[in-house]
Amino acid sequence: MTHVVSDDGRTLTPDVRRTSVPSLGATFNDVRRELATRLQGTAPVTSPLPLELLSRGVQDAPSLRDVEVLDANGMGVYAVADAATPPRFAAFLDGAQWSLALWAGGIPVVHGTVAAVIRQREDRRMTTWRKPVVRRAVYAPLTLLPLTWQDALSAMDLEVVDTLATRKPESGHPFELQEIAYQSVLAARETIEKALAEEWCESTTLDLFVDGGIAGSRKVARSTNVVGVVKSHQRLYASAAHLPMLMGLQSGERSSVVRVSEGKRTPVASWYLRLRDASGHDPFWGLVRVEVALSDTSASRALLERADEVSRWILAEALPLSVPDARWDKMVYGIRDCEEFLRAIQ
Amino acid sequence: MGRVVATEKRPNTAHEFHFWTAIDSPIGIGTIVRVDGESPVAGQVRRVYGVVVEGFSYTDLQTPIHDVLGHDGMPGSASLAATERAEIRLYTAHVLRQIPEEPLQPVPMGAVALASDEDVAVALRMDSYLQPGSNTGIPVGIYRAGAMEAPIYLDADFLLGPEAAHLNITGVSGLATKTSAVEWLLSSIFTHFPQQKGSVAAICFNVKGPDLLFLDQPGTIDDNDRAMYEKLGVEPAPFERVRYFAPYTAKGFTLNTLRSNEQLAHNLTPLTWGLNEVMQFAEVLLNKDDIDAKADAFIDFLQERVIGREFHETPLSTPHRVRSFAELEAFFRDLLRGMEDRGSGEHWRTHHVATIRKVRNRLSNISTRCAGLVTDEGTVSDLPFGSFQDRTVYVVDVASLEEDAQDLIFARVVSKLREHLERRDLGVSHVVVFVDELNKYAPGDGPETYVRKMLLDISERGRYLGLVLFSAQQFRSQVHRRVVGNAGTGLYGRMDMDELATPGYSVLSAATKTKLATLEKGQLMVRHPHFAQPIFVRFPRPAVLRGRDGAERFPQAGEIPLEVAVMRSLRQLDPSISLDWVKRTIVGHEEAAVLRARNVTVQTRPDRVQHFFEAQFRRIVPLDAPARPATVPIRALPSDDPYGF
Repeated sequence: MTHVVSDDGRTLTPDVRRTSVPSLGATFNDVRRELATRLQGTAPVTSPLPLELLSRGVQDAPSLRDVEVLDANGMGVYAVADAATPPRFAAFLDGAQWSLALWAGGIPVVHGTVAAVIRQREDRRMTTWRKPVVRRAVYAPLTLLPLTWQDALSAMDLEVVDTLATRKPESGHPFELQEIAYQSVLAARETIEKALAEEWCESTTLDLFVDGGIAGSRKVARSTNVVGVVKSHQRLYASAAHLPMLMGLQSGERSSVVRVSEGKRTPVASWYLRLRDASGHDPFWGLVRVEVALSDTSASRALLERADEVSRWILAEALPLSVPDARWDKMVYGIRDCEEFLRAIQ
Repeated sequence: MGRVVATEKRPNTAHEFHFWTAIDSPIGIGTIVRVDGESPVAGQVRRVYGVVVEGFSYTDLQTPIHDVLGHDGMPGSASLAATERAEIRLYTAHVLRQIPEEPLQPVPMGAVALASDEDVAVALRMDSYLQPGSNTGIPVGIYRAGAMEAPIYLDADFLLGPEAAHLNITGVSGLATKTSAVEWLLSSIFTHFPQQKGSVAAICFNVKGPDLLFLDQPGTIDDNDRAMYEKLGVEPAPFERVRYFAPYTAKGFTLNTLRSNEQLAHNLTPLTWGLNEVMQFAEVLLNKDDIDAKADAFIDFLQERVIGREFHETPLSTPHRVRSFAELEAFFRDLLRGMEDRGSGEHWRTHHVATIRKVRNRLSNISTRCAGLVTDEGTVSDLPFGSFQDRTVYVVDVASLEEDAQDLIFARVVSKLREHLERRDLGVSHVVVFVDELNKYAPGDGPETYVRKMLLDISERGRYLGLVLFSAQQFRSQVHRRVVGNAGTGLYGRMDMDELATPGYSVLSAATKTKLATLEKGQLMVRHPHFAQPIFVRFPRPAVLRGRDGAERFPQAGEIPLEVAVMRSLRQLDPSISLDWVKRTIVGHEEAAVLRARNVTVQTRPDRVQHFFEAQFRRIVPLDAPARPATVPIRALPSDDPYGF
């Protein structure tokens, strides 16, 4: 949860519903213009590119996690492909973010836009479910900012998030401050994605395909109509011994179901699935990790059958390709559609 | 329906804009749309009307190979795709009108809607001439988009003058579009031409087949046509008043037309001219390369001094009054014999005998080349110049005539129309002249001809007189530029792609050209001075009998004996005339004399037809026996002739 502090004591806790419609005056250029005015003509210096493109974003360190295998036979490989399985997912959820930094001397002030959308599929065509959520805010270490900046930000009609409210910097390096701000933007994005997914779970029993993990929300992680598909593999949920088997998955094969439990996150059932033939490609080509709700009897036959079933649903999304996106080997078209939609309303 | 969209690479301008729509929207090439601006300019929210001229469709694919790879090269597997690719329908529209018109700015962002009836009227500026009390709208067809139908009107002031005038229609042959469109439009004009603007008649030259020969007979139309007639306010009926004119065949028995069936003879009139009528237009028939300045001068002399007046001069043996080609021939015969007999040299009134012989040859030839139209004896049966009637169609059938005769008819009829309109005594104030096959009569290249000059003259000056040219052809690009250029209104039926590739169509978008190349029967693209862009409309099938059907239902009269031909002609004047009476009357008379008597009777239309007809023979055929020539006594032999017996 992202916290908000302002000088006048206003509570600026993110309210997804309230900020679901972009408000005028909150765009990056508007903020920059208004700051220039309030700072008496001194135009704030900006970074040339969004932080997402500057490789300043935070990434987990590559790691292997030993996990509990829920299959009675231990870690194994299962062929699940079945061309006859029809597409099942009724909707797709994805979020996006854009972060641009302004510099108050050596202090980064990050303008972040986060957005999330559910695109539902009816008669093979994609439309937006309810309304997309878009939220714009400024993320800054308020206490480190010059007073003129603090005054200017507090006087502006925009949401300001103090990035040091819950985390203290180790060194105070400007890039470290920027990274903290960036994490705050990520957290905001996760917040609205979670809220949207929960709204779906409360509204319908149709199956939802979520881009990324589902363990961040208890309600979502326990819903039987939500499937999370993770495309990044910085963290692999397998022991070193099982790694060769995992890397050797063939197209249409899945690994055994494991139990993934990370800190305060809700435990979920997870497995790896190879979507496409990786011949001639790196071992992660077409490899995704699937998350579904963990049933009460975690080793039940039903869970294993569900893994097969969900895998087939995902494999049924192999067409159309998500080209020209570079991650088309792992990304289903519904998620690409969400991304294009969010890019369009940015 | 859609939204305006503009990018840096594809910006909107004051004359063109782009918009996208839902995949299933009824927008198409030619659809009229309305853009409602979102931001007011000078206190007024802008509204823009446009017509769709181009459409694009694409997906989020960067290259087709991605789709091939995605389906493993198997097109059939495309149906297995879980989701259809995001797809766009992007249209380009040309601006028809902006409100307010000043300042003229690029089209703003805004919502796009299908134009309503009222929008169409405003977009095409029809609101300026459809005002109650000063309505000069002539329905040309119906514009359709989705479930909406809007009548499209032409402005009579810009169709029949005086502001602009003339109409040109082009399209491939065989679809009956050109002729049908003109027939429909004439019906519409006759119904809607405002009374306060005067009267209007039409002269149609039927240049091929039976196209225009059954305008007075009802044809077959369906419910769709009836609905269009109702919406456009025109009675779905054949023309009430039609008169047909055709020359005789070379033999002279019957009229040279496919509409020679006896049942339809009531409004069919012979078209025959004599020397007087032809000499004015001798230029049309005489080959310029053949007739030099000397011959020209002699022809002028004949026209001024000889034809139509008493003329007697050495070396002529008798006074001559030349009123017909027969009398002209007698004049020439007498003149040349006189020059030879009296040895008066090789010149007469400075004209060399060779020139005189040449002119004699060429003029005498006319009645042969135009046999059936031009008569030796000078009988005249003409169009009713001076008593033209309002809302009447006059069809001159020249389809079966030689080219020379066709040219002569065009030249004379149009010249006479012009003369009468200049004097304001034609009988009507506006005349629509319909000429098909303009490629032939006013080609863009080739030698200058009298007919082409005449068509140019109508195009450039006719509108001031009320002389309006409705022309049609297959290839507009091959017609003289000034003829089509002066046509204020242009109609385009289905076109050939080769024709559309010519420079004259470069202003049309590729999609518009494609639509033109695939137009159905009954569809037209319309250009009109009030319309900023061409508009596609549908028009109803004419409520007249199609030429081909008419020719089947009313077969052409075959070759008939002289007495039957005479009987049919005279029965138009007196139904009591019998074949026996005709046979008795003409027995013993030469064929030429009988025909001459018939022609004079038909032309005169006497009260006592039989008496008049018989009188022609009494006057022409000498009843008295020729006087016996005086007997020349044989000279007596000399008394001292030693060889006498």
